[in-house]
Amino acid sequence: MSYLDNIRNFSIIAHIDHGKSTLADRLIEKTGLVDKRDMKEQYLDNMDIERERGITIKLQTTRLSYKAKDGQEYILNLIDTPGHVDFNYEVSRSLAACDGAVLVVDATQGVEAQTLANVYLALDEDLEILPVLNKMDLDSARPDDARAEIEDIIGLDASEAPEISAKTGMGIDEMLEKLVETIPAPQGDPDGRLKALIFDSYYDSYKGVVIYTRIFDGRVKKGDTIRMMNTGKNYEVTEVGYCIPGTVPADELKAGEVGYICGSIKQVADARVGDTITLASAPTDAPLKGYKKAQSMVYCGIFPAEGEKYENVKDALEKLQVNDAAFNFEPENSAALGYGFRCGFLGLLHMDVITERLAREFDLDVITTLPSVVYKVVMKDGTVLDIQNPSNLPNPVDIAHIEEPIVKADIMTPNEFVGSIMSLCQNRRGNMIHMEYLTKTRVQLHYEMPLNEVIYDFFDALKSRTRGYASLDYEFLRYQPAKLVKLDILLNRELIDALSTIVPEEEAMAKGRGICEKLKDIIPRHQFEVPIQAAIGQKIIARETVRAYRKDVLAKCYGGDVSRKKKLLEKQKAGKKRMRQFGTVTVPQEAFTEVLKLDDGR
Amino acid sequence: MDRKTGLYIHFPFCVKKCNYCAFLSFNADESVRRDYANALMHEIELAGREFSGQISTIYFGGGTPSIMDVSLMSLIMKAIKRNFDVLPDAEITIEANPGTLGIKDRVVRAKLIAYRSMGINRLSMGVQSMDNVRLHMLGRIHTAENVVRDVTIARELGFDNINLDLIFSVPGESTEDALEDAEKIIALRPEHISCYSLQLEEGTPFYEMAEQGRISEVPDEEDRETYHRIIELLRESGYEHYEISNFARMEGMGRAPGFVSETDAPAWSAEGMAGGNDCSPYRSQHNSLYWSLDNYIGLGLGASGFMDGIRYRNTDDLEEYLRTLADDQLPVMEEMINSAFDNISEAVFTGLRRREGITFEEAGAAYFLNSENSGEEADVTDRDTDLAADELFRKVFSESREEAEEYAAKGLLVIDEQGLRLTEQGVDISNGIMSLFV
Repeated sequence: MSYLDNIRNFSIIAHIDHGKSTLADRLIEKTGLVDKRDMKEQYLDNMDIERERGITIKLQTTRLSYKAKDGQEYILNLIDTPGHVDFNYEVSRSLAACDGAVLVVDATQGVEAQTLANVYLALDEDLEILPVLNKMDLDSARPDDARAEIEDIIGLDASEAPEISAKTGMGIDEMLEKLVETIPAPQGDPDGRLKALIFDSYYDSYKGVVIYTRIFDGRVKKGDTIRMMNTGKNYEVTEVGYCIPGTVPADELKAGEVGYICGSIKQVADARVGDTITLASAPTDAPLKGYKKAQSMVYCGIFPAEGEKYENVKDALEKLQVNDAAFNFEPENSAALGYGFRCGFLGLLHMDVITERLAREFDLDVITTLPSVVYKVVMKDGTVLDIQNPSNLPNPVDIAHIEEPIVKADIMTPNEFVGSIMSLCQNRRGNMIHMEYLTKTRVQLHYEMPLNEVIYDFFDALKSRTRGYASLDYEFLRYQPAKLVKLDILLNRELIDALSTIVPEEEAMAKGRGICEKLKDIIPRHQFEVPIQAAIGQKIIARETVRAYRKDVLAKCYGGDVSRKKKLLEKQKAGKKRMRQFGTVTVPQEAFTEVLKLDDGR
Repeated sequence: MDRKTGLYIHFPFCVKKCNYCAFLSFNADESVRRDYANALMHEIELAGREFSGQISTIYFGGGTPSIMDVSLMSLIMKAIKRNFDVLPDAEITIEANPGTLGIKDRVVRAKLIAYRSMGINRLSMGVQSMDNVRLHMLGRIHTAENVVRDVTIARELGFDNINLDLIFSVPGESTEDALEDAEKIIALRPEHISCYSLQLEEGTPFYEMAEQGRISEVPDEEDRETYHRIIELLRESGYEHYEISNFARMEGMGRAPGFVSETDAPAWSAEGMAGGNDCSPYRSQHNSLYWSLDNYIGLGLGASGFMDGIRYRNTDDLEEYLRTLADDQLPVMEEMINSAFDNISEAVFTGLRRREGITFEEAGAAYFLNSENSGEEADVTDRDTDLAADELFRKVFSESREEAEEYAAKGLLVIDEQGLRLTEQGVDISNGIMSLFV
């Protein structure tokens, strides 16, 4: 019997909020190799943003030990996956490192869009899937319905799916037993040539980049020279070990095992997720399949706010990049906002996370401009330009046509909301491909939609129209020609380039009007009138005016009011800090991000 | 600096909540008022033990202190005199709302006589309007006739320091309506007039009505027009405009002084500073404490105090208030020790509310107010103590200098060798100016 028989490499996959992280925590608590006391700090203490939003961004990989009823001791390697569509590629690489997956379905909610999306990713990697029903401690749990949905929609046998509560710990032992039984042991030849998959990495200021890896064949130890097969770079291994979690050194890692490798690597971009590690002295013949370079789908400008230093922002962005291969940036110069950076992200959530981290971890005041997708601009002379900043759109007379990215969007919803979702998608230039009834009451709608329409507030609009019941999954499909124009915004007759957007020609009028109205609410009153205009080229298509203010005074201020009044003045002062001066007009930072959120839930 | 100490006593009771009011007050029956008075007297005793200085003003505010039974008020007053060293010429004010003194003349008279005999020498009446329709809309319980009657009786009884409150910019009210109200109030020749523009505060019936679109707020332009015309009327009628919302009658006849106007700002000299002989003797001494960073002891439910650079606030939960005092503890819920910057900042933004503004001297004194006792020495360096007052001011607020000068260039703020003051036009946007100094 081989050592491989006692290893199980698995992921937990789930829709957002179905309890994946709670289950992971519970498993570590039950079978982890660290003290409960240490665990709190090491495992649960994720980024604030992750905890607040209930999503996992950075992976956590953990080695567990479980003594099964057959008397055998099993090593369980739990490989976490990020929980958001923006990180689909990372999810797929994590899954590729596994031999099986635990599919968590919330017994009160049933199957959701991302449940499906994740299952398909897992099936693509040929994984065994063990469905489990979570949240069984809740009165609203309806396990039979959830089971039926798993069978009908996904086609998995759920008759023996363990019923658990990650929160209370109920059913976890049964689940572990089932896991050892269902998920196959890894295969591989420890004496073959080294073939290892990078499924995650992070930067540690002492060790350099720490690579999380699954060894498929061969073995690796300290002193070996490894090669990244896709980037072609060689590094000398300084340490290998297991994630228990954290890093605990070991003599070597061999086929079937999951662990980490360090090699004085300076940034995560040199140890890309999906790349194959082999030995420089005896390379394997072909890399593992599935490697992709992370591609930015959404761009925005990040500029230092009034009083913030450019250098500070640059340092912070560099630090973030070291740890995030999917994030990139380059210097940008805006007439309105001055020197800043054009930044590329996997998606909107990724963008939100980065900008929030700038504020929280680096305490920076930055202005983020409207997100934009990458347009392919085909010029009359035949050249094709990638434009992700509306201000860089060439003169319309030189343009043959513009193409925009289209995504395939899958929306799952209770049938009662179908009508309202269809009208929302219609408004967002969506093209329905087909619609299917998954069960009597659950429907999946398949749309093709411009990515541009998805990135603003589509998700919020979807949630608000369906009382949170609908779920969304999307992926890039293709570029497609569209009639698009650049919509400019002028404040006090000055063009604010950071507010320019690219919009469909037929919607320019409505969008222009919407933006002007929105800005009217956002821009504070000044001591003079501020005209707000929307223009296409030289033509003004909409106009609003912010009336001059005449009054900003607190009538009373007696004893008890002094503290209250002071807070008010402090707030006013802080508010001003978050604004930006354009000539004589002061614009709050939110103008740049809120202005295109035009959906009012109609 | 000679720092005075005032005593503020809060009475959170009203017959009925007004439609615009967001203050802490509620209706309570006699037994609750009695329990409150007992607790308050105990608080007076405890606070008196901790304070050894002299009291120069006393202010009974609310709510509506005048709905307290006279016998209880008299006990409270006795408790104050027993536990505090009250100066013989102290200004002692009670907020006495028309309609709460009594329905019959006889009762009003008896209540006012009792006040006088307790030593109360200043009445502050929440008149708000002299138009019965508007009074009804505001949710007041009195009529214009009640006001005239109560003021007349008070005069007969020798009250020679009376304040009348006036509210303008009530939804639906025009500038002309407001001026008519002001005329009627001036006709009663009170020594002091407080004049506020109505603010829609969250949680009030007015706020809700506005949300539902049932009433609409008076536009800013109209509100400011009314404000400046009322100022003009009051000054022409001999009332000094000495604080953003407060006016005090001058002894002599003729046009009274006020905030400097933007047009003659540069010519305005230091002569008109506080204490000059063009000041009304009827300025509210108690309220002036708040604008000069002087001390005040706050007693009663939800009351705030400021003592030697420490701000504190009492609980606003009646149960807790009564319980804490039953346990012989002061019901202070929050206490904040001001830093040197807090002090100078508060001195500046409250000082700017006065027509004389804030002098560099006063600001400097505030900066060093509690450098010995607050544990905040770190932000006061020896170098600071060597600086001249105006240099210190410029150093502390160096970041705001440019913006302050922009306001000055627009005629909204005067900066001279003495200090800073708002112009009458600057008052309209004073929050923006004050926020430079917090």
